[in-house]
Amino acid sequence: MTTTAPQRSGGESAASAPSERGATEPLHSAGTPPGDARGNAPRRVRVLVGLSLALGLSLVLAQGLLAKALETVATERADRQAFISLRALEDLVQRAGGKGDSVRAVVSAWQQQLPAGSAVRVIAFSGIQLEASTFSEDKDDRAAPRRLSREEKPLYDRGQRLRAAVETNREEGSARKLEVEAEALPNGGRQLSAPVEVDGAVVGLVELATPPLKEPLYPSKGALALWLLLPLALCAGASFAVRKQGLLVIASVVALAVGVGGYASYSLGMLDAQVRETQTLVAGQLRAMSERAQAVMAERQLATELALQPGNWDADPYRRPLGLVTPAGAVNEAAVAARVAELRSGAGRALGGLGTLALAVLLFIGMGGLARTVETVVENRTAYAYIAPAMVGMVVLVFFPFFYGITLSFTDSNLYNTGQSLTDIWVGLRNYAEILGDFSIAKRAQDGSIVFNYLNFYYTLFFTVVWTVTNVTIGVTVGLVLALILNVQGLALRPVYRVLLILPWAMPNYITALIWKGMFHQQFGVVNHVIRMFGGQGLAWYDTPVSSFLTVLATNGWLSFPFMMVVSLGALTSIPAELYEAARVDGASRWQQFTAITLPALKPALVPAIILSVVWTFNQFNVIFLVTEGEPSNSTEILVTQAYKYAFQRYRYGYAAAYSTVIFGILLLYSVVQNRMSRATEAA
Amino acid sequence: MKNLRLMIAAMALSALGLLSTPASAQPKEIVLWHGYRAEEKAALEKVIKQFNDAHKDIQVKTLAVPYDAYADKISATVPRGKGPDLFIFAQDRLGGWIEAGNTVEPIDFYLDDAVRKRFIPTTLEAMTYRGTVYGLPLNYKVVTLIYNKKLVPTPPKTSGELVATAKKLTDKKAGRFGLAYSYGDFYYHSALMNGFGGGVFGPGTTPTLNSPANVKSVELMMKWAEKDGILPAEPSSALITSLFNDGKAAMVFSGPWFLGEIAKGVDYGLAPLPTLDEAGGKPMRPWMTVEGVYVSAPSQNKDAAFEVAKFLTDAAAAKVLALEGRQSPANQTVYSDPKVAGDAQLKAFRDQVEVAVPMPNVPEMTMVWSPATSAMNGILKKASTPKAALDVAQKAVAKDVAGLRKK
Repeated sequence: MTTTAPQRSGGESAASAPSERGATEPLHSAGTPPGDARGNAPRRVRVLVGLSLALGLSLVLAQGLLAKALETVATERADRQAFISLRALEDLVQRAGGKGDSVRAVVSAWQQQLPAGSAVRVIAFSGIQLEASTFSEDKDDRAAPRRLSREEKPLYDRGQRLRAAVETNREEGSARKLEVEAEALPNGGRQLSAPVEVDGAVVGLVELATPPLKEPLYPSKGALALWLLLPLALCAGASFAVRKQGLLVIASVVALAVGVGGYASYSLGMLDAQVRETQTLVAGQLRAMSERAQAVMAERQLATELALQPGNWDADPYRRPLGLVTPAGAVNEAAVAARVAELRSGAGRALGGLGTLALAVLLFIGMGGLARTVETVVENRTAYAYIAPAMVGMVVLVFFPFFYGITLSFTDSNLYNTGQSLTDIWVGLRNYAEILGDFSIAKRAQDGSIVFNYLNFYYTLFFTVVWTVTNVTIGVTVGLVLALILNVQGLALRPVYRVLLILPWAMPNYITALIWKGMFHQQFGVVNHVIRMFGGQGLAWYDTPVSSFLTVLATNGWLSFPFMMVVSLGALTSIPAELYEAARVDGASRWQQFTAITLPALKPALVPAIILSVVWTFNQFNVIFLVTEGEPSNSTEILVTQAYKYAFQRYRYGYAAAYSTVIFGILLLYSVVQNRMSRATEAA
Repeated sequence: MKNLRLMIAAMALSALGLLSTPASAQPKEIVLWHGYRAEEKAALEKVIKQFNDAHKDIQVKTLAVPYDAYADKISATVPRGKGPDLFIFAQDRLGGWIEAGNTVEPIDFYLDDAVRKRFIPTTLEAMTYRGTVYGLPLNYKVVTLIYNKKLVPTPPKTSGELVATAKKLTDKKAGRFGLAYSYGDFYYHSALMNGFGGGVFGPGTTPTLNSPANVKSVELMMKWAEKDGILPAEPSSALITSLFNDGKAAMVFSGPWFLGEIAKGVDYGLAPLPTLDEAGGKPMRPWMTVEGVYVSAPSQNKDAAFEVAKFLTDAAAAKVLALEGRQSPANQTVYSDPKVAGDAQLKAFRDQVEVAVPMPNVPEMTMVWSPATSAMNGILKKASTPKAALDVAQKAVAKDVAGLRKK
């Protein structure tokens, strides 16, 4: 009923602005009419809508989470049971020597007690053999033992991966690489692979494929409906009893708490029961497998010097015993209780988060925040429509990477752990402490000279500041001098000079950088060629920090003066010639004219250009990276190139992210100070 | 009328085109990336052409990638499936690529004994990471003794002879030196370090920079530079080249890259690095860099790609790459070929590689360079004793490695 007015005003131009203000008046009065008696009904509706949305959203999400958790529990249950069977088989295969007829006998004996649809195979690395298999495709002419065929390469590679993982973990005394792999099969079953060790060396691989898993338990829809409708009914009842807006909102919050809390207790109870059931099943499996393994050992007369250790069979992917089930096959209540408590606190946190989200939604809608937001968006919809594409672009291309980088800086992300979640590798402020807390900048050598630690942050910062100051000084000086020359009245061929002098700027700077790098080449470079022409010795430019610095300084000076020249030239032409005439009449010298007229007139144009140029030079990656590459030994590295090297040569992504964040902090500080100063100068 | 005829003709032609496509099976296309230029590139392309002529079902296309951007390009494109099927690179980045995953395909599975035996064992070792072979070695580069025949008629066999010969030829005032090499560069120092039985990593990837053997090797280097005084100060590669070309450095430790910089008039010879009297007569053992051919993990034609890699590393291809590309092949059977055996340069590097040690291919190696370089600088400038400097470097590397390992 009220939407037509703003629509019209939005489509029209500023001429209709006064009428727009008038037209929105009825909208306000329709949304929140004055007077309690008439205002109660929409408020009630608002609170109820808010509650139903908040409850619906949180419960549906909770249902999804619960379904996912139940599925994980079911998969874990299947994996652990299969894994115990696999580890028992692995133990037997090891006792049978890892290859030969006895392994095949063990495997066929083992197959008999596996549930229908399961299959096992054993692979030996020596000779790339399929030692034994009960898979349906390995029959007749493909029956074991045989060499693996070419399309079975992934099997062999998986075995080698597990072998390397076992050796790596053992050597480092850590659990860094998975020693057991589990994957889903296309038919809905699971396939687990474990290494076979004989005399301490991994010589093969055993694999077990399970039949398709049972459908995991799905949370009941009845519970969802109960905890959704009950609070709503409560709140609806309350809305008729309570007249005051505040009390109504409080009632709705209570109703929300009842709904979310009720569903939480339902889902926690369900998870709890499932986890406990898993332990019982796993314990049963352990007992069964242990008996079975004893039987096979007796039947096959395998080595029994070392007793079976069924306690180790129920283990994590690094083959560390979980301890949830005792070796005798009983449930270890204490460990399970701890496990359940851990699970509960995790689920509690997730549900707490959901509850907070729901509360925010409820309050936002119930208190009228949504109504007001919608109103503003509708009113200014043209403006929002115009900035929407840019906002999406900014979020995807700028804000997301930026915040991701900052998050990364608090982790220990590196080449080896890119697969882990960020919370697992969280180190807090350690990277920052490491970067900013290292003060070993330099030390004194025996002969009195100072040896710098080029990898130190403060050395690099010092170098970056020197680099920025020298470059900007050169850029401004050269640019200004050239601009003054070009500004001489009646200069012949001025357009030609201008074009020529702007050329360095027009060329892509990495091409320029590579050309300059070539010019400073020790043997073939034109610079050394010129030096030799005058009888000098060529210099190895990239061998000492100072000469190396000179090469980048020359390159970047060449790249930066045209910008300053163009800026100054534009400002110079706008200075009225009368000022100089008057100055000459007063007897001012040329230098006095320059300092009293030219420089002050240039200031408004030059100061912003210098501010910009400082930031560009501070982050001038291309020139440093391409020309000196930090040579010799990282002494000519600036902060950004150093951060790059930490990330892509030393593979320490978290550390590099912290480094970049520090750079960002420095530039932020610079711009804040710069703003203050320029505001102060403007005011003066 | 004429138009109609033309149309019929065109239709018939296009129908022919349609017919012929299914008739001839599409050959598999294998893309090979390399970083070669000039003669190396020409030799490689010649071998690839031989392959393409011999195999109708596999066609190889080569792409020369500028060397500066090559490694980063591999890291960026291959794991996303946008890279080549095969690529040639040195072993130093291998460990990093394997740990990053989905870049280099393990090829243990394809290797039979005949292929394994084709290579100089240490070069295949360079292609092996944690017990699995990931590439076929193509060629190697190794540091050896290069001497000026006019100044040194017979190259020294032991370090004692080396010092004696070098002392005679050294005249510091005239800027003459018996021996010149980048002794401050850790890569060149490796020959002494490995000669004493030292190394960078102990069992596995435990850093051992400050091992007694390493300290001894640095002390011997300092003795040559200080007490014997046979080495020039601040030996940049440029200085060494100009000294050798001016006849002011009689002997140089360097690799094949140095040969291209020797001036035309200089009559030079190559010989194995001397044995070390100080280490009980054991030979100096330089690091070698091995370039391998790798099958990329996301490739669609791994079998075919491996066939190409096998072809590139067999004796016939190695001969072309050696004689025309001036590479030192990792294939050991090719050295019995009379033409290759008669080539002094190839033979000298083949002799040296017998005692060479593959440079570690573990990703932890990238963390060694800068602490090791700082240590060498500190020792040369006498900022600290060899032992103290190496202790500092060891600590730094151990810290970096532990930082990478946490969790």
